[in-house]
Amino acid sequence: MKALKKITAIASSVALASAMAACGNAGPGGGSDAKVSGDEIVLGVITDMSGVYSDLAGKNSVEAVKMAVADYEKKYGDKAVTDKIKVVSADHQNKPEIANTKAQQMYDRDGVDAIFDVPTSSAALAVANIAKQKKKLFFDVGAGTTELTGAQCNAYTYHYGYDTYMLANGTGAALAKAGAKNWYIIYPDYAFGQDMNKNFVAAIKKSGGNVVKSDATPFPNDNFSTFMTKAPGLNPKPDVLGTMQAGGDLVNVVKQYNEFGLKKKGIDLAVGLMFDTDIASIGVDALSGTQFTTAWFWNLDKESRAWADEFKAKTGDRPTFDHAGNYSAAMQYLEAVQRAGTDNADKVNGELKDHKVDDFFARNGTIRAGDHNLSHDAYLVKVKEKADMEEESDFTELVKTIPADDAFQSVADSGCSMG
Amino acid sequence: MIISRLMRSPTPLRWALLIVGIIVALALPWFIYPPVATDMIAWGLFAVALDLLLGYTGLLSFGHAAFWGVSAYTTGIISIHLGVPFYLSILGGAIMAALIAIPIGYLSVRQTGIYFAMVTLAFAQLIYYLANQWRSVTGGENGLQGIPRELFGLDLSDAFIFYYAALPVIMLGVFMAWRIVHSPFGRVIVAIRENPDRTRSLGYGIGQYKIVVFVLSAFLAGLAGGVFSTNHGFASLQEVYWTTSGKVVVMVVLGGMGTLWGGLLGAGIVVQLEDFLATAGVDANGIVTGTIFILTVLLFRKGIWGTAAAMRRPHKRTDPVRSDGEETPVSSARDGG
Amino acid sequence: MNELLQQVFTGLVSGSFYALLALGLSVIFGMLGVVNFAHGAFYMLGAFGALTALNTFNVNFWLALVLVPVALGVFGMIIERSMVRWLTHLDPLYNFLLTFGLALILQDLVRLKYGVSSQPYSRPDALNGSLNLGLFNYPRYQVFVLVFSIALSVLVWLVLTRTRVGMIVRASTERPELTNALGINVSRWITPVFGFGVALASLAGVLAAPMRAVNSGMGGDLIIVVFAVVVIGGLGSVFGSVAAGYLIGMLTAVGNFYLPSVSQSLVFVLMALVLLLRPAGLFGAKEGIS
Repeated sequence: MKALKKITAIASSVALASAMAACGNAGPGGGSDAKVSGDEIVLGVITDMSGVYSDLAGKNSVEAVKMAVADYEKKYGDKAVTDKIKVVSADHQNKPEIANTKAQQMYDRDGVDAIFDVPTSSAALAVANIAKQKKKLFFDVGAGTTELTGAQCNAYTYHYGYDTYMLANGTGAALAKAGAKNWYIIYPDYAFGQDMNKNFVAAIKKSGGNVVKSDATPFPNDNFSTFMTKAPGLNPKPDVLGTMQAGGDLVNVVKQYNEFGLKKKGIDLAVGLMFDTDIASIGVDALSGTQFTTAWFWNLDKESRAWADEFKAKTGDRPTFDHAGNYSAAMQYLEAVQRAGTDNADKVNGELKDHKVDDFFARNGTIRAGDHNLSHDAYLVKVKEKADMEEESDFTELVKTIPADDAFQSVADSGCSMG
Repeated sequence: MIISRLMRSPTPLRWALLIVGIIVALALPWFIYPPVATDMIAWGLFAVALDLLLGYTGLLSFGHAAFWGVSAYTTGIISIHLGVPFYLSILGGAIMAALIAIPIGYLSVRQTGIYFAMVTLAFAQLIYYLANQWRSVTGGENGLQGIPRELFGLDLSDAFIFYYAALPVIMLGVFMAWRIVHSPFGRVIVAIRENPDRTRSLGYGIGQYKIVVFVLSAFLAGLAGGVFSTNHGFASLQEVYWTTSGKVVVMVVLGGMGTLWGGLLGAGIVVQLEDFLATAGVDANGIVTGTIFILTVLLFRKGIWGTAAAMRRPHKRTDPVRSDGEETPVSSARDGG
Repeated sequence: MNELLQQVFTGLVSGSFYALLALGLSVIFGMLGVVNFAHGAFYMLGAFGALTALNTFNVNFWLALVLVPVALGVFGMIIERSMVRWLTHLDPLYNFLLTFGLALILQDLVRLKYGVSSQPYSRPDALNGSLNLGLFNYPRYQVFVLVFSIALSVLVWLVLTRTRVGMIVRASTERPELTNALGINVSRWITPVFGFGVALASLAGVLAAPMRAVNSGMGGDLIIVVFAVVVIGGLGSVFGSVAAGYLIGMLTAVGNFYLPSVSQSLVFVLMALVLLLRPAGLFGAKEGIS
């Protein structure tokens, strides 16, 4: 039976190859009865390899997807739908137009079946539109905007890992419930910051807290002293300063928060989005005890550590949640192809519909059919004391697991209508 | 001024070049990936628009992203909300760019030289902040997404077909620039560059001429920006960011200032380079573009087109933009490169 | 009132950086007619210089404050000799473009070495904690930055007004044609002045390292604001650029306090107003413009 299948596959691929040779430029998916278009599965990774996200995503995202391919091949061996799986990548340099062009090129010319990662929300939304147009799959991991699974959702785009709602809601609700009553929020004045602020405020209020004030700050900004001097003078005096800044601006905020000694004045720090790279930039001492929400961290448990070790052996770095998310997304995609027996996007879509995911990255995960968002357990974590660190990049420890249903916005609230 | 030289040069060469140009424009999407080809011609017109100011009027605008970007957004908004043929949207976008250029031009042309560059840069940055803030209209950092390509119900989803739909807009824009340069008006702006005092003494209002050319340049940049956002189906903050202003200056300098056609050439090279770097895996875009830039200004100041023209007529050199008209031995020694 | 004073103080600290950068930009412009787009990159290199000094050579902040600007000043002189010099007799826009390309390269080189994430650099111990300024407490380090930059500005001012070298530089900065006409050999001072301007920018970078994020992009956006600052102050005016630096610092801080969402645009609105009403800049002499 297996042999027969293989022969058919070879025969059809030969037929397809000769057909393609005849037409010269037929392109993939030429409507043959082959199980996989172009006789191979091609995964495309569009990411930022030179801009501000290159440490969080970048080359290592490509490596993560390649690891997923290797693990898939190992797992299924001869039973795999195809033994020809290729990974191609492009550096969008944080420019949405390059992401957009490369996505078209990947789907049209390189025979790419699914695109992964794509940090920067404008680039992600631009690729989502291409995916919709070309009816090919797109798994965004790197961007945070809820628009991908909200007003701008579409049937071929999945958001896999995290979004601004998850980040803000997790930290806001948990800390407000734990007794942080009065909040002063500062957020960078662009879409990401505005969304974080909106979701943070909502979460705090829902959990019985009070937002004394929230201020938009210039972006980018070097000097947050104004807000640091303002905080203690607010009425009522805030218990927590919630910062939604990211990257270099976050480093500025924390440096200046410490300079102004706000902690001693009884104002704690809560951070909207933080990566290990940020903690390394600021220094553990300056952040010890700070809580934030994350989609995953490498030292979460044995399974995660095992994968992180493998990742480190390949890249020399510890993975961020974006890297782990890309691995998981690629793996889930390949599993769905395996179940569908084809890489036809609509059939794979059917297999992903409300599919349950439970791997080291996504615990209790569901790829929700309603908005194509992956809901899974998120983690409220805090930065370790330096003395407790077991290795150089062992920065965080678990405070509390946020169950999948609480972690993500419900489908009903997402504002998505799958057309 | 390759063009004016071409005008004087034997007719066959002029016609030959024109025909080659049109053939290249028509054939481009056959050997360049069509969305990239459309980018090339859009950036090409943008560069031509900038060259009107930089090369012909001697004003370095380091804020032209403002006009390209404002039109990219306006075109998108018109297309999304009104659903008119995209030619109309682009026209609307370009008009908006020209309207915005009036106050900016009014304030900027009082400055000359490097002051002008910084002032235009600062105004463009102001537009950038506005675009970021005005999220309900522009989408802020998420960008204005889902711009349709409507043209009497034709299916333009194929990038190859869209290229040919967009080409007339670009050709019209380049033709306009060409007409401007060769009109009496064009001769006055060149005169202003070469010798402002004498031009003033001849009774020309230098300020008004500069504003008019500034607004015309913004209009053409707007046409290009509209084509660009329609091509990609979105407009983002990238379009109004200062790096976009820098990129178009690179194109003009690389192609050759004051040559008009050089801008098209420069745009083609830069866009192709950027596309190549995205998948080349060299991971050093800044180093590559920066080096090209430095080499161009140090060794090939006349740009590719200008250098080629100079090689044809080695006995006469012209530095397209020059502050005082003086050439020192140093520069003549280095200009040969 | 106290609150407002505190914001003004905050603004002066921000202004310290603007002032040092604008001052360097202004003397370079005055002497060479070059608007140095790479000024932000030199600021960034200053911060990374402090970082390298500490991590590789174990040189502390105080020594770095002297050594890094000197080293980068020399680097600046090499740049002037090897590249900028060849273009100074041409339209200034060529050097603007040259330094633009240079900024791209320098920024990318640092990114390749350090990545895009910010690098840690801690405050010198002596400047930890805060200082009682009577009306309010303020972080000791930031007070130091302000005092240091004011002292430095005054020092530069004294050098420019009281020494022969200074007078030549200032005269050629503010009245280039006149100075040449008086038969003073300006050209021998060009390279040192370029180096000096670069040193000022990198000094600002060293000062920034303990209180700001140190990454390859830190100078890229700052330089645009500094351009607006020198336009407001009057590009030819040494005093104007420093004064405008502190002024813009205060304006943005007070703006951040009362109208955080528009404060970023305030600088550029002010610039438009200045251009409309006083095209030569707030402190520039009309004929100083070239």
